[in-house]
Amino acid sequence: MSDIPFPGTGEALPLPVPQEQMAGLLGWLSSVDHKRIGIMYLLTGLVFFGAGGIEALLMRIQLARPVSSFLSPQTFDQVFTMHGTTMIFFVAMPVLTGLANYLIPLMIGASDVAFPRLNSLSLWLLICGGLLLYFSFIAGGAPAAGWFNYAPLSEKPYSSTVGVDYYSLGLLIAGIGSVVAAINLIVTIIKYRAPGLTVRRLPLFVWMVLVTQFLIILALPALNASLVMLLIDRRLNAHFFQPVTGGSAILWQHYFWAFGHPEVYIVILPAFGMISEVIPVFSRKPIFGYEYVAASTVAIGVLSFLVWAHHMFAVGLGHSIDTMFAISSLLIAVPTGVKIFNWIATMWNGAIRFTTAMLFATSFLIVFTIGGLSGVSLAVFPVDWQVTDTYYLVAHLHYVLFGGTVFGVFAGIYYWFPKMTGRMLSEKIGKWHFWTMLIGFNMTFFVMHFLGLMGMTRRVYTYPNLPDWGLLNMISTIGAVIMGISSLLFIWNVWVSRRSGELAGDNPWEAWSLEWATTSPPPVHNFDRIPPIRSRRPLYDLEHPDHPDWKNGH
Amino acid sequence: MDTEAQAIAAVRWDNNKLAMLLFLLSEGTFFAFLIIAYVYYHAISNTGVEAAKVLDPLKAGIYTVFLLSSSFTVWFAEKGLRRGNQKAFRSWLLVTLILGAVFLVGQGREYLHLYGEGVTVSGNIFGTSFFTLTGFHGFHVLLGLIALAVIFVLALKGDFLERHSSAVETVALYWHFVDWIWVVIFSVIYLWAVF
Amino acid sequence: MFKNSVFTPASPQALSITHLTWIVGIIAMAILLLIMVLVLYAAFKFRRRPSGFEPRQVFGNSRLEKTWTIGALVVVFFLFIVTLRTMHSSDRTPAPGEKPNLVVIAHQWWWEAQYPQSGVLTANEIHIPIGKPWLVLLKSADVIHDWWVPDLGRKIDAIPGHPNHFWIQADKPGTYLGTCAEYCGAGHAWMRIRVIAQPEAEFKAWEQQQLEIPPKPTSGDAAAGSKLFDHLTCVGCHTVAGTPAKSDIGPDLTHVASRETLAAGRLINTPENLGKWLSDPQEYKPGAHMPNFDFTKEQVQDLVAYLETLK
Repeated sequence: MSDIPFPGTGEALPLPVPQEQMAGLLGWLSSVDHKRIGIMYLLTGLVFFGAGGIEALLMRIQLARPVSSFLSPQTFDQVFTMHGTTMIFFVAMPVLTGLANYLIPLMIGASDVAFPRLNSLSLWLLICGGLLLYFSFIAGGAPAAGWFNYAPLSEKPYSSTVGVDYYSLGLLIAGIGSVVAAINLIVTIIKYRAPGLTVRRLPLFVWMVLVTQFLIILALPALNASLVMLLIDRRLNAHFFQPVTGGSAILWQHYFWAFGHPEVYIVILPAFGMISEVIPVFSRKPIFGYEYVAASTVAIGVLSFLVWAHHMFAVGLGHSIDTMFAISSLLIAVPTGVKIFNWIATMWNGAIRFTTAMLFATSFLIVFTIGGLSGVSLAVFPVDWQVTDTYYLVAHLHYVLFGGTVFGVFAGIYYWFPKMTGRMLSEKIGKWHFWTMLIGFNMTFFVMHFLGLMGMTRRVYTYPNLPDWGLLNMISTIGAVIMGISSLLFIWNVWVSRRSGELAGDNPWEAWSLEWATTSPPPVHNFDRIPPIRSRRPLYDLEHPDHPDWKNGH
Repeated sequence: MDTEAQAIAAVRWDNNKLAMLLFLLSEGTFFAFLIIAYVYYHAISNTGVEAAKVLDPLKAGIYTVFLLSSSFTVWFAEKGLRRGNQKAFRSWLLVTLILGAVFLVGQGREYLHLYGEGVTVSGNIFGTSFFTLTGFHGFHVLLGLIALAVIFVLALKGDFLERHSSAVETVALYWHFVDWIWVVIFSVIYLWAVF
Repeated sequence: MFKNSVFTPASPQALSITHLTWIVGIIAMAILLLIMVLVLYAAFKFRRRPSGFEPRQVFGNSRLEKTWTIGALVVVFFLFIVTLRTMHSSDRTPAPGEKPNLVVIAHQWWWEAQYPQSGVLTANEIHIPIGKPWLVLLKSADVIHDWWVPDLGRKIDAIPGHPNHFWIQADKPGTYLGTCAEYCGAGHAWMRIRVIAQPEAEFKAWEQQQLEIPPKPTSGDAAAGSKLFDHLTCVGCHTVAGTPAKSDIGPDLTHVASRETLAAGRLINTPENLGKWLSDPQEYKPGAHMPNFDFTKEQVQDLVAYLETLK
C-alpha cells in the first residue's frame, strides 16, 4: 500500500454545492453527496437482493421434488414474478447505479456529479418504486404475470388483483429515477473531467457507464410507454393490449423487449467495466486493446437496439423477421465475445495476484462465456424453437446475469470497498464466499441446461415425475441453498470488515486511476489535489517517471 | 474572448441545457412509442374511418397555429433578454403563455366535443390511442406552461437582469420541443385522417 | 433421461433441429474449452513471482485483435448458414390457402382440437396418423399459450388475435408428450399435451369412434349421473354430444372415458382418479376454472359411472 506524494496542479476544483456533511441518519438520508448516495443505492440493492434471494429459495424448495404442494401455483406465480422484477429493477439497477454514482466523479477527478440534488431524487424515486412494488403483497396480491408481464394475461380479466398495477406504478417511478440518474451521469462525464482527461483516456469503467446511460435514456421510454398504456387499459378500460377488442398482444411484446433487450446490456456493460478495471490491476499490466474494448462497447450499445425480437422467435412473426433478428443477434455476439479475448490477453504474461476480486473476475470470464455461448445457440433460432421458454433459457439468463453482472459486481465490491470505507474486506472470508458461490452457482444453474433440453418448461410451479427431473431439480435446489449461505458469508464479511478490517490507505492495490489518488474514504470534496493527467494511468506515470505510459505513446 | 462571448459560450451548452437535451431525447423516444402505437392501430384496424368521421383538422389546425407561434414568441422573448430589453422579454413571455393556454383550451374543447360524440378512451382502439397520445402531449404542454409561468413571475421580480439566463434558455428549449413534436402528432392524427 | 426431449426426434422436422443442436452444441463446447484452457493456463502460469517484478506493459496488438474478430465473424457466419437451412427443413411456410388438417385452440388450461376434414372434436389428447405431415392451425381463446411437443418439432405460441401454423408429423406410432410452454396463469404447469400417432387404419377407427354419439344410460348409477350432469352446472362449461351440454369453457367430454389422462395430463384416467378429481378439482389443479362443487359421495359415484360410459 503506497501513498504517493505528487506534484499536482495544486488547484482545488470548484464545488457544485456547499459541502457540509450532516451527522447521523438524517445526514445520510438527506445527503446530496454522490458518495453517500452511491452507498445508499448499494444498501438498497442489498436489501432487495435479500428479498429476491428468499423468493428464489422459496421457488427452489417448491421445485426440489415433483408434484409438490409446498407453494400453491397462485403463490408460486407471484414469487417468480417478484423474483425477476426485484433482481433486475431493484438489485441490478441500484447496485450498478450506486457504484457508478460513487466512482464516476472520483474517476474523472470531479468533486461530485453535475446535479447533486437530482442525484438524491433518483435514489429516492428508486426506493419508492421498490416499496410500492412490494406493497402489493399486502394490498391484495403481488403481480403474478411474470417479470415481462405479457398481455393479455396482465390485463384485468386475467390478472384481477392490483398486483399488476403496483408493478406498473413501481417500475414507472423507478424508471424515471433511472433516466434522471442517466442524464446526471452523462452531463457529469462530459463536463466535469479534470484537465488532461480526454475522452480517450477515460477509465474503461467510465466508458462502459457512459454508453450504458445512453442506453437507459433510449430504452426506458419504451418501458414507460408500455406501462402507461397498460395502466390505461387496466384502469380506464382501454384497448391497447386486449385482442378481443381490437388491441394487440404482440405489440406489448415488441414494446417490452424494445426496452428489455437494451436493459440486459444496461445491466452487463457496467460489469464489463468493473472487470476491465480489476483484471489489469491484479495482472499488473494495462488493459489489452483499450481502443477495441471501448469501440466494441459502442458497437454493443448500437446493436442492442436491433435484436429485441430474438425474445419472440416462438411468436410466429415469420421467417423473414426471424432471420433479420438472427443476423443482428449473431452479430452482437462478436463485440461481446472478443472482449473475453482482450481480458485474457491482459492476464497473459502478467504477474497475477489472486485476491478475492481477481478470483471473481477470472471466474467471470468462464461463467459469462457459458452464458454467452448458450445465448449464441439461442440466436440460431430453430434451436430456440425447441429450448426457449424452458429451463435452458433460465440457465442462459442466470449465467449471463448472475455469472456476468453479479460476479462482476462482487469483483468490483472487493476492489472498491477499501476506497469507500477505508478498510479491506477480509480475504479469508472472501475466499470462502468465492468458492461457495462458484460451486453453488454452477450446481444451481448448470443442470438447468439439461432440464430444458429434457422438456421442462419455465414458470411451472411443479412438474410430473418424469425420469431424472426430480434428481436434477434437487441438485439445483441444493446449489441454491449453498448460494444462500455464500451470500450470508458476503454480508458477514461486509459487516465484520466495516468495523475491524485492515486499514486500507489511499491505494491498497497499487492501482492507477484517479480514485486511488485520494484518501480512503475520500474527503467530502473528493480531492485536495489532482495529479497531472497525460495518459490513461496517471498514477502509473507518477510511479514510473522514467517510463510513463505517455512516453510509450499511450 | 471578451466577457460577452465568454458568457454566451458558458451558457451555450451548459449543464442545464445539456441535461434538458438528454431529457428531451428520452421524452422524444417516449412519444415515438405512443405515435408508433397510434400508427399501428390506424393501419391494422378501421380507426382511420373513425378518425375521419369525428376529427376536425381545421379547428385543430387553428389551435396548432397558436401553439407553433408560441415557439416563435418565446424566441423573441429570449432575443429581448439578450438585447437587455426587459420589457420585450417579459411581454413576449406573457404572449407565449397566452398562446400556449389557448392551445390547451382548444384541446380541452375538442375533448369535450369528442366525449359528446361518444368517443372515449375506453370506447374503442381509436379512442384509446387518440386520447393517450394527445393527452400525454397536452400534459407536457401544461408542465411547460407552468415552467414558463414560473419564469415569467421571476422575471417580473427582476431575477433575470443579466443578458443570459441558463434557466430561461433551458425552459425555452423544452417549450420548443413540446411545440414541434406536436407537428408530428398533428400530422399523424389529423392530416392522416383526412388524406 | 432424455425421453420426450430435444434429443429424441420422432419427425423429420424435429430431426433437423436435433442435428442443428448437435452442430451448435459442439461448436459451443469447443469454444468454451478453448476459453477455459486459456483462462486456467493464464491463471496458473502467470501468477506473480515472489521477486515482484513488473511484467512488460503491453497495450495491445492490432493484428491479434483483427484475427480473433474475423474468427468470431466466421463462426457466426457459419451458424447463420446452418440456421437458414434448418429453418426451411423444420418449419415449411405453408402455401397461401393451404388448409389445415387440424385446428388446435388453446384455453386456460386445456387444449381443444378440431379435425376439419372428419368433423371430430376432442380435447387434450390429440391423435394423428403416422408418416404424414399435417398442417395445424393454432389459436388461443384467451391468453398466450404455446404448443410444444419436443419429439415432434418446434414450439410455437398460441396468440389471441394472431393465428399461427405449424407442421405435425410422427414417423412411428407412439405417444409423444408435450406441454404448454408460455406462462398462462395458475394452471400453466398442468396444461400438458398428449399426441398419439397411429397407423392409418387405427387412426381412422379412432376418428370413427370419436364421431359416435354415446347413448344415454338408462339404468343404475350411470343414469343417475347422466341426470345430474344435465341438471347441474356441468352443461355451463362442457360439451357432450347428444345432451344439452354445449359449451367450450371447459374440455369436450363426449369421449372422455377413451382418453389416457384427465385434466390435461394431471391424472391418469381411472374411475378412481376421476372420482378424486370431481371431489375437488382444486386439490389437483389449483386455480383451474372448475371450482369445488362440494359434491356428495353419492353424487360423485353417479357422475363417475356416467362419465365412464362416454367412451
